[in-house]
Amino acid sequence: MFNFHYRLERNAMGLVLAIVVVASIGGLIEIAPLFTIDETVEDAPDMRVYTPLELAGRNIYIREGCYACHSQMIRTLRDEVERYGPYSLAVESKYDHPMLWGSKRTGPDIARLGGKYSNEWHVAHLYNPRDLVPESKMPAYRWLMRNALKIGDLGEHLAAMRAVGVPYTDDMIANATADAYGQANPDSAQSAGVTARYGESTNVSLFDGKPETLTEMDAIVAYLQILGRLTDVAQKTEQANVE
Amino acid sequence: MSFDHDTVTGFAKSFGLFYLIAMSIGVIIYAYWPANRKQFDHAAHSIISDDEDRPCP
Amino acid sequence: MIQGTWIVQCGGVGMVAQLTALERTYAAIILVCVICVGVAMAVAGRGDLMAAHGWIVALFGMVVMALLLRGIDAPDPWEERFREYYDDPTKVGIILSLIWGVIGMFVGVWVAALLAWPDLTFDAAWASFGRLRPVHTSGVIFGFGGNALIATSFHVLQRTTRARLPDQLSPWFVLLGYNLFCVLAATGYLMGLTQSKEYAEPEWYADLWLVIVWVVYFLIYLRTLARRREPHIYVANWYYMAFILVVAILHIVNNLAVPVSIGHAKSYSLFSGVQDAMTQWWYGHNAVAFFLTAGFLGMLYYYLPKRAGRPIYSYRMSIISFWGITFMYMWAGSHHLHYTALPHWVQTLGMVFSLVLLVPSWASAGNALLTLNGAWHKVRDDAVLRFMMLAAIFYGIATFEGSFMAIRAVNSLSHYTDWTVGHVHAGALGWVAMITFGSLYALVPWMWKRPALYSARLVEVHFWLALAGTVVYVFAMWNSGITQGLMWRTYDQNGTLAYSFIDTLVAMHPYYIARTVGGLLFLAGAVVAFYNIWMTISRPAPVDEGAAADLPVEPPAPRAWAQAGE
Repeated sequence: MFNFHYRLERNAMGLVLAIVVVASIGGLIEIAPLFTIDETVEDAPDMRVYTPLELAGRNIYIREGCYACHSQMIRTLRDEVERYGPYSLAVESKYDHPMLWGSKRTGPDIARLGGKYSNEWHVAHLYNPRDLVPESKMPAYRWLMRNALKIGDLGEHLAAMRAVGVPYTDDMIANATADAYGQANPDSAQSAGVTARYGESTNVSLFDGKPETLTEMDAIVAYLQILGRLTDVAQKTEQANVE
Repeated sequence: MSFDHDTVTGFAKSFGLFYLIAMSIGVIIYAYWPANRKQFDHAAHSIISDDEDRPCP
Repeated sequence: MIQGTWIVQCGGVGMVAQLTALERTYAAIILVCVICVGVAMAVAGRGDLMAAHGWIVALFGMVVMALLLRGIDAPDPWEERFREYYDDPTKVGIILSLIWGVIGMFVGVWVAALLAWPDLTFDAAWASFGRLRPVHTSGVIFGFGGNALIATSFHVLQRTTRARLPDQLSPWFVLLGYNLFCVLAATGYLMGLTQSKEYAEPEWYADLWLVIVWVVYFLIYLRTLARRREPHIYVANWYYMAFILVVAILHIVNNLAVPVSIGHAKSYSLFSGVQDAMTQWWYGHNAVAFFLTAGFLGMLYYYLPKRAGRPIYSYRMSIISFWGITFMYMWAGSHHLHYTALPHWVQTLGMVFSLVLLVPSWASAGNALLTLNGAWHKVRDDAVLRFMMLAAIFYGIATFEGSFMAIRAVNSLSHYTDWTVGHVHAGALGWVAMITFGSLYALVPWMWKRPALYSARLVEVHFWLALAGTVVYVFAMWNSGITQGLMWRTYDQNGTLAYSFIDTLVAMHPYYIARTVGGLLFLAGAVVAFYNIWMTISRPAPVDEGAAADLPVEPPAPRAWAQAGE
């Protein structure tokens, strides 16, 4: 007994192994069961994947660090459910690589923002939040209106998402660029393909109000309008655990 | 696969407890083992000794 | 006389001359590789932000190469060097740490001001809150804290093992490679490159580079320990080892991702949703545990006893705390996800372990304070030691607060509010920064062979600025966090929510101004520290008439432990 300890601490490798073993078991035991959780998590057969335009918008949301001030995770607390809507279910973020649950609400939770405001409201709000909400602390994101959206490589983005487990079809990957354009230009020839591939209820509209160009504003508004609407399982499930 | 969710969580919940207890007992025995006292005292004093600031040859 | 010149050469340009000719050749080869990789990134990433990073990598390599070439043909260093510790990387690490500290804290004050006056973004994307915030967090955690950890770990490792670092190239690789990672991180955020994983924002290629750097860091530790002349590995090294090892595990697992292509900076994380959230906060919480706690406890367990001139109060307790912290922190991450879609039992587990974690945490804090018991006159007179004492007190406060906030019911109020921010800063300003400044103040005169710091008064000024800044900041955030948490859940007599979200934000405004003031005080203290240390270094060393006698004529006698320890 004594000799074992004595040698352990005289031996640098022993110390290293002890640290690794002691430290990793905690994480392993806690995280491993989460990978079998699919068996118990609620099922959402109607859930669709992000369209290329929404994915591009999500990447802008990440790029600008929006998650630092907005959560996308409504907790199972009564006041949160009343303020923001049905509490978030695990399945709702199953296509979120990475998740954007957030950790701080300098601004409100936006897990169920989609459809709450018009496209025009979002564009004006992002252009200068204080035009609509004088007390707002949110930065003005005017450059989103100026920057053209990069859509040429969206097929590669979809392919990478498929590699980590999101069920994009070959058809979706091949038409990613056209679909991004079509979703923000309802009158264009490409718009029909979007609803064909992503469903009739896909939000196809002139998000930034300008038909000629595809801006980053188009993408971010398309993303904000899909928040909480990839599936309506939360609306249909009884919210049993509100505390 | 027999590793369904309930099995894995059940193992995590029970094993975790025993692991914690065994770990605590082991560490306390080691720290308070009488024969270890001398080297611990030596280690504690070693850093404040007045030896010159250079490596052992 | 010759030896006098040799000592002078230890500073400044002479650092390159301290490398052997072979090491200089290897360094040149590594730098050529770095420059090539940079250019390859720039070519592969044409039209993508990765190209900008490629040029930054290449430029970084060229700058270091230029420094190397200035001394490339110097004669080989004297064999005498093996009778000295190798401290050049520590010296540079101290200065880099202070530079990053001032930058990171300045950006911190800026983002604090942005929350009070949001139009300070002046329509530039890089200056918006979301992009500057990670510059602040990474700047202080990785830039300031990480460099301080690397610098002090090399110092402590050599002194406690009584062995010189195994070679003179790998410490530079670690220090400069790590700073390249920090530069990629900070510049990436400004351009909009982030994985969005908090405290793990840098993209995949920077993460891969850090793995290489970290492996070399670990090998330095192992190789030095293998050559140690003390049989027992002093406990400070245990903490540094846990820091190195566990951060490696956390970093690799949490950053698993698939890049869009080899020419794209963007990647998609391997995990999604609930698994990703648990992995992220397992990482996030243990980054606090093993980066911001274990590493700095290593500092505490060496520099505090050393400065106080008293051995640690209970060495046994330090061992028990060590294994307690190493074991229990790993389970506690899920307390970041109370009331979320994470399964209930994982939340409960995280809460229980967070509460038990208070035991080893307070054992460490108490051990530090009890070490000072009997030396309070030193604490009164010596502001450097007072920094360390204050760090131990704040460590105790912050760990108590952390355990308290991990209770589900408390967390329902505190989570998503500024209370969390206040808690983090009680730890970051009160504990991490205080122990770092205390340790660096102690270390600088030893490293540069000065009798004392340039000004003890300025240390005193810094102490009070730092304490005042921390208190103002933390109290502002406690107030705003608890106020906001309560307002969110207040119902009026009709049973409807009493306040809109914007009502609660308006109530935060005065606290956000107070927080900016607190941060400004702390930044001012850091600037004072930088000035004081800079003046200490740049002041000429006292004339040492015994320079020739500074080296023993005969090899030192075998240590006393050789008889006592066996």
